[in-house]
Amino acid sequence: MYGQGLFKGLGITFKHTFEKDITIQYPEQMPFLQERYRGCLAFDFSKCIACGLCTKACPNNVLSFESVKEEGAKKKKLLNYTIDLQYCLFCNLCVEICPTNTLYFTHNFELTQFKREDIKIVYHRPPELDLVTDKKEDASAVEVETENVNTTETDSKRLKQIEAMKTALGKNPAKTLGKLLESEEDIAIMSVLMAADEKKLVKIAEMMVDDKEKARKVAQAFVNKEKKDRSKEGGEQA
Amino acid sequence: MEDLFVNIARLLNSWLVSLGLSSWWADLILTVLQWTCIVIIITLNVLILIWLERKICGFIQQRLGPNRLGPYGFFQTVADTIKLLTKEDIIPSRTDRWIFMTAPMFFIIVAVMLYAVLPMGKDMTVVNLNVGLFYFISVGSLSTICLLMAGWGSNNKWSLLGAMRSVAQMISYEIPLAFSLLGVVMIAGSLNLSDIVVAQHKVWFIILQPVAFVTYFIAATAELNRGPFDMPEAEQELTAGAYTEYTGMRWALFFLAEYTNLVSVSALASTLFLGGWQGPILPSWLWIILKTYLVMLVFMWLKWTFPRIRMDHLMSFSWKVLIPVSLLNIVITGAGIDFFRWMGW
Repeated sequence: MYGQGLFKGLGITFKHTFEKDITIQYPEQMPFLQERYRGCLAFDFSKCIACGLCTKACPNNVLSFESVKEEGAKKKKLLNYTIDLQYCLFCNLCVEICPTNTLYFTHNFELTQFKREDIKIVYHRPPELDLVTDKKEDASAVEVETENVNTTETDSKRLKQIEAMKTALGKNPAKTLGKLLESEEDIAIMSVLMAADEKKLVKIAEMMVDDKEKARKVAQAFVNKEKKDRSKEGGEQA
Repeated sequence: MEDLFVNIARLLNSWLVSLGLSSWWADLILTVLQWTCIVIIITLNVLILIWLERKICGFIQQRLGPNRLGPYGFFQTVADTIKLLTKEDIIPSRTDRWIFMTAPMFFIIVAVMLYAVLPMGKDMTVVNLNVGLFYFISVGSLSTICLLMAGWGSNNKWSLLGAMRSVAQMISYEIPLAFSLLGVVMIAGSLNLSDIVVAQHKVWFIILQPVAFVTYFIAATAELNRGPFDMPEAEQELTAGAYTEYTGMRWALFFLAEYTNLVSVSALASTLFLGGWQGPILPSWLWIILKTYLVMLVFMWLKWTFPRIRMDHLMSFSWKVLIPVSLLNIVITGAGIDFFRWMGW
């Protein structure tokens, strides 16, 4: 029918009238920014190793820094780091190439300044970085940390092994138990026991990981007890 | 509540007579008071209307609209008015000075004159004219001349083009406007607006004359230079049409007159088609306000929905569609009236 579109349009505007407004009243109401939003480029001074990859990656020469290599020192010492943000095109190349994740984008998008000189962001070497140079303290701290790392690592490794053993015992008990028990009869009895009682399976699995000899003894004890019980029952029946 | 304003007027009249004035003088003073009231109401109403228009426009476009000044931004228009009042009054050097200066005044005078015959409640008409509708249409068409004055006086090509367009448009749409109202007049058997309202006490004329209502609505939109028919001030091509050279309060007067016209045209629509001041429970003057605002809301809805129509389409729509349809409506209405009379109803 001629003129149908008019009513369609009226319907759309009528619907819009009662829908939620999309306006964000900016200074009072901040816009929602996605996690990977590229706001102002920021720099973590303590992480930088002064490798210079960022300055090479930057297409607009935004980044620059000064560093010195002191006599006998292994590493370069960063003195300052400058981000001349007015030329930055937020391409992410410097962030991607940085080996220590020193550069990152913040969610700060309010970058206006009154003076051109203020656009430049200069990071000077913070004095606390030079204070923490007591090598002994440093070394012990590192050691403690590595120890902790080791224990946690072994812990998680053991748990993983137990888990693997449990699945093995559940899926193929005859093969797994063959490492502990000699006679086929004993293996069959043990696998029936484990299928009946989950606790026994877990116990055996744990002991197999920690101490194989103990596991063998416990398994043998389980089997012997079962054999005894069965012979008793048989006697009563007879 | 029903006779609130009527009683106030009667009390004032008797008080003036008791002061020793002749009844002629008392009537004169009362009429002046009534006009003052109308002008005040119009001015305040325009403040509300502009705010409402901006708010509704915002909602339709999923924005907030003005919301900074006062509750829901209500005082935004007040601030705008103060700004316009304090602005410099610029009169370009090559203008036709007298025409340029008087055009907005005539425009607003014509707009206010329309309120003389509008029944704003039971027994609430300033002048109860027996040719009220005829008066309304003829005075309403005067605003065309005011726009032409503004366009000619400005000595500016855009102003003149806008004025020419508005003249062409308004004259073309005056015909279907008048024709669409004829159907109502034929049924009511009167040109007096109060009588037409009384004639609707059983059934509103929008039900008896739906085609006339639609024709009236479209023609009125064009007459108001609003909505999809705002060719005379098409910003994108004519800057501001006839208003281009106007600044400050002179420009504000045009704006005021436009919104005043919107109110009067909407009030006429509710008077002729929506039962006027008649309605249950609420007092009559509140009913006419409610109905007028409803019609104005529809006008705003149309304006912010449709894109501007092309000039030649605009003209051909008037001459090739609206005028034949409204003429046909008159013929059918006349035949229907005769048919029912013959049936003996």
